[in-house]
Amino acid sequence: MSYVQEVDLGGSFPPFASFQEHFGVVPNLFRAQSSLPRIVLGEAEIIDAVLFKDWNLSRTQKEYILLAVGVAYRATYCVALHYQVLHSLGVPDHQLDQIVINYSKAAMSTSDAALLDFAIKLAMYAPWLSGDDIDALRDHGFNDESVLEAILVTGLATFLCTLSTGLSPSPDFEPRASTAANDMSAPETGYVGGTGGPYLRTVERSPESFPPFAIFLERFGFIPNLFRAQTLRPDVLEAEVELFGNVLGPKDFLSHVQKECILLVASGANLNTYCVADHCEMLRAMGVSMEESDQIVLDHNEADLSKETKALLDFVLKLAARRSSISSEDIANLRGHGFTEEHILETVAVTALNNFLNTLQMGLGTTPDVKPRHVYGLKDALVTLAEERPQERAQIDPDASLVARVKAGDLDAFEELVTRHSRRVHRTLVGIVGNVPEAQDAFQETFLKAFRHISSFQGRSTFSTWLLTIASNTGLQCLRERKPLESFDDDHETEEFHPRLVRAWANNPEQLYSEAERRQIVEHAVTMLPAKYRVVLVLRDIEQLSTGEAAVALNLGISTLKSRLLRARLMLREALAPYFATSAKRMGL
Amino acid sequence: MITCSEFMAEFGNYLDNEVPTKVRQQLEDHVAQCRTCQVICDSTRKTLKIVTDSGSFDLPDAAAKPIIDRIMAKIRTEL
Repeated sequence: MSYVQEVDLGGSFPPFASFQEHFGVVPNLFRAQSSLPRIVLGEAEIIDAVLFKDWNLSRTQKEYILLAVGVAYRATYCVALHYQVLHSLGVPDHQLDQIVINYSKAAMSTSDAALLDFAIKLAMYAPWLSGDDIDALRDHGFNDESVLEAILVTGLATFLCTLSTGLSPSPDFEPRASTAANDMSAPETGYVGGTGGPYLRTVERSPESFPPFAIFLERFGFIPNLFRAQTLRPDVLEAEVELFGNVLGPKDFLSHVQKECILLVASGANLNTYCVADHCEMLRAMGVSMEESDQIVLDHNEADLSKETKALLDFVLKLAARRSSISSEDIANLRGHGFTEEHILETVAVTALNNFLNTLQMGLGTTPDVKPRHVYGLKDALVTLAEERPQERAQIDPDASLVARVKAGDLDAFEELVTRHSRRVHRTLVGIVGNVPEAQDAFQETFLKAFRHISSFQGRSTFSTWLLTIASNTGLQCLRERKPLESFDDDHETEEFHPRLVRAWANNPEQLYSEAERRQIVEHAVTMLPAKYRVVLVLRDIEQLSTGEAAVALNLGISTLKSRLLRARLMLREALAPYFATSAKRMGL
Repeated sequence: MITCSEFMAEFGNYLDNEVPTKVRQQLEDHVAQCRTCQVICDSTRKTLKIVTDSGSFDLPDAAAKPIIDRIMAKIRTEL
């Protein structure tokens, strides 16, 4: 069952008839969007132009790309759909199974394997894509038209994967097991950043004779390079205009500013320098200052936005960056902020559209239309990879064998895990809720939840990080129930924080107090921090989680996490200064 | 020479050793010149050390045992 409600549009709804013909089924992914038929109509246009229409690549090659990207994205729904389509196109099941496990061993032609290497790199590691990758395809006999088509199909794959992640439709076919082996390792060198092109040949088209360009000119005041780079496919540009019009045009649910904010935040999550610059420009045209847009990109939770829009953008960040799966709790959270089915559907569709555009842009390597104020670099990309793929660092989990025994029903193994992690969980919870009695209730609840859900633990992070995520959520839930006394979600700062006490500290401040005294001082100071800062400090500086792990545990963006962490550290410094500054007398406790 | 607000913008990354060499040099040049930022930098580093080493919020071993026993008893009754 999808996260959003469906309405019956009937089999004669034109997109459904087309899907039935070309997929052999009306995919539930589109039925799940039936409350806004205009969106499905726009999607049908782009799917028809990119996937169904015969051009240079065969339908089988395109479906290979859709399947392989679906595997890399861990989009179970899409994998099952494209597996079935390829099956109906005559590809043997054993070969399909091998593509799902590892396409490089699937006995494909070298040119098809090269096509998938390109598509996976574009879908998963786009900032590293360069002209060399385009040349590699040319060496395998693909001309510019074919390469453009490969980029478009890869963009479509990210679009469909994002939709399926955000909407969670019921599978149309039996899900296929996937080990996500198609998720190749991050390239070690060759970071380009997405603007190293344009890579492909274009043809001159003018707004006077080509309606899509006239529309771009009217809407944006210029024709973005992203669209100039696709002129080999005028039919696709027409379909893109249709899709944009149907998804972004109406303002009966989300406002235009909200949609642009979604595009901005999602482009930021994908480190897309080009698209971030353009969406800042669009927002400026809508009356949002550049400084405000900068703040939204940097950390939307600190921007001058309503609480509802911030919740919406939290969701978008999670969906766009593929940081973790979307759950029904995320959808419930949006409903709790007053968003309707249509709002939620539009949000998912705008985010999916963004991922489509971001993928096209990086594949085409277009240079910015306006001078970018944010240029994403290698470091941003590495941090993002770390948070998207914590499993890469989790290959050696010291708890793995105990976890396996618990899954097999061994309670003694679970007791060993509880004992092993009791101190970390306890520290985390006291740090978050701020008092021992509540923390001990949450402590028990954390381990009970872990036990009840251990069958769903897939080893994508270490058990320890998984457990601390449960502990953090349990602690945060305590805080929310305590509201309005103290809230993690409270967006209103009581006052701007500037470091005030700038006296030097003693050379060895820790020697001023005994161990027990220091501990008492620190515990008191940490407990007095506002919850949203305290939580971040506890996970990063007391539990020593990495930035990526703490962001995942708290469901925060990296930039939000970092800005809260700095503020927490500065506030704590301020609170400790009276005890440790050189001019401070040793204080009685 | 960067300003104090530019220093503060990178300060979090600096504390976590996440700045490129060139930026690090700029930050260190600033700290060498600016007494205020030098104090903030030094005292924040000391804060982190004190917090990390303090053993704060630790669960005493004596207190852990009965809680763990309660959890395991509850799990056994659930099964």
